[in-house]
Amino acid sequence: MTLSLVMHDWRLLERIVGLTNRLGCAYTRVDVHAGESHYHATIDFVGPPDALRRLDAQLSRLLNDDKEMSR
Amino acid sequence: MSQPAASTGAQLVLDVLADEGVEIVFGYPGGANMPLYDALYGNPIEHVLTRHEAAAAFAAGGYARSSGRVGVCFATSGPGATNLVTGLLDAQMDSVPVVAITGQVRTALMGTDGFQEADVTSIMGPVTKRSVCVRDVRDLERVVRAAFRVARGPRPGPVLVDIPSDILKAKCPPMDPFAARPVPATPEYPDDAALDETIALLRAAQRPVAIVGGGARSANAVYLFRELTAMLELPHTATINGLGCATPGDPRFLGMLGMHGWKAANLAVNSADVLLALGMRFDDRVTGKPDRFARNAKIVHADVDASEFGKIVPISVALRGDLRQTLERLVRRLGRDKMPSFAGWAAEAKALGGALPADRAPHGELSATDVLDAFFAVAPDDTIVSTDVGQHQMWAAQRQRAIHPRNFITSAGLGSMGFGLPAAIGAQFAHPDRTVVAVCGDGGFQMSMSELATLRRHQLPVKILLIDNQRLGMVRQWQELFYERRYSHTDLSDNPDFVTIASGYGIRAERVEDAGELRDAIERFLGTKEPALLHCACFPAENVWPLIPPGATVDDAMEGAPQPEAIVA
Repeated sequence: MTLSLVMHDWRLLERIVGLTNRLGCAYTRVDVHAGESHYHATIDFVGPPDALRRLDAQLSRLLNDDKEMSR
Repeated sequence: MSQPAASTGAQLVLDVLADEGVEIVFGYPGGANMPLYDALYGNPIEHVLTRHEAAAAFAAGGYARSSGRVGVCFATSGPGATNLVTGLLDAQMDSVPVVAITGQVRTALMGTDGFQEADVTSIMGPVTKRSVCVRDVRDLERVVRAAFRVARGPRPGPVLVDIPSDILKAKCPPMDPFAARPVPATPEYPDDAALDETIALLRAAQRPVAIVGGGARSANAVYLFRELTAMLELPHTATINGLGCATPGDPRFLGMLGMHGWKAANLAVNSADVLLALGMRFDDRVTGKPDRFARNAKIVHADVDASEFGKIVPISVALRGDLRQTLERLVRRLGRDKMPSFAGWAAEAKALGGALPADRAPHGELSATDVLDAFFAVAPDDTIVSTDVGQHQMWAAQRQRAIHPRNFITSAGLGSMGFGLPAAIGAQFAHPDRTVVAVCGDGGFQMSMSELATLRRHQLPVKILLIDNQRLGMVRQWQELFYERRYSHTDLSDNPDFVTIASGYGIRAERVEDAGELRDAIERFLGTKEPALLHCACFPAENVWPLIPPGATVDDAMEGAPQPEAIVA
């Protein structure tokens, strides 16, 4: 599963790594590029399909809160 | 034109708090947050000095749970902040809006292992919705305001703002009360197709059951839930966080669902063909073994958080959005069509279970369930009950008569001992004229009994109903049932004299151990306008029934051991 994520706080990567591990998944590639007001990360995740689905959903929630905190 | 006087970061924080509607803060001062406490000196925001930071976090949670407003707690850097961890995780698990503001060592010291330094934002990351360190005073107002927005929702939860002491001291422009600010996002609601699908399922259903969770409370959707169940004459049950959502006295309410839930509730859910799951998250204490949970049901799941859909059990329809918006639309559409009545099925479902089974002591000693039955019979209808965690929590949840979900507050998801008393303190500050009772066990009470000092200082009329069975009862019960009665470290028979302890704090206290004296003792206890403790000396071997063993199903439910075993202290 490859996700393109927009982070306003780059420290969110720490939470993404933690959640990935917690759900029994792993990542095989992380690319992060800094923009003017946010960071763009492309991450390849591997793991059981159910866990990846949960990870995707939880990351969406995390990124929504990050976006709201940046307003 | 004169320039407005300069402010400081600390003053700005308090100004923003006041502007966000904060009237009270629970906290504890220390080195790094001293500038904040200095600004608090003489400030109209009330500050409650708890005797431990953990209690400050729980009290903020109790305030928020009972009022729906954001609870706020302060702590200093390092140990002060780390002591908030459990209370913030508790708020996270039960979706309770809390904002924690911690002092941090000055920015120049960060990363040097300075005195009382801890990487608080990293520690707090997994236990909050967001945890942010402010390193520039120009960001302070924006971040604190955003913390309140995020804490409030759409799904509420805790947010931590960590502020180094030099940022708290830094000069900055004062808050501009008229500045344009981001407004909260408009609540979302499900699309028509999902609502149509839900109505079609209900129309075809023979045995539908509704389950309500804490999301109905958060979304202020309780009245709509009541309207829905009345309109369809729908049998319904509640998770522990959804207790109080049902219309008081509604015969279609089947009681609490789950591991220690009422038999009728569990059996009805198990035989349902449609489940309407509203603002709940299928906790394992509710589902037991998920692949055997409600096997014959099509599940309609309404929640504001899409990450809950399909997380534990597969669902047929997802109603994503604010639950109030969702139920408004659902009720309106149902009102237009002729829908079947489920009154017959509701009566059938109610008849699936009988009274709660309860153990009785061999020689007539006081039983905890007798205490709670008597308490709920005497307590005013609008009493706010805060429980600690363990057997007494489940007995109380089974028996509570809350007329509103904000009247029964408990650490449900996290199950954190030590919660009961500080949460009651928070609730009493939110509702100074209501009866607030902390129902505690002897184990959990000893984790936070230093908060008796907080009661004393504020003459806060919180009542503590202490169920003392001289054991860590829930663990003892599991040792009895699942660990071959190997009672490893659950004996508290050397408990202190709780009446003497309470008296030492200046709190009125009484001990009761005779069932014949119980009712009068509870009436005296509830009748006083002061803080009070009623120490109920109960027999140790009483178990919570029914019990669905962990990972099992309602088919495996245990309804009791007829002869309580003799306990050798």
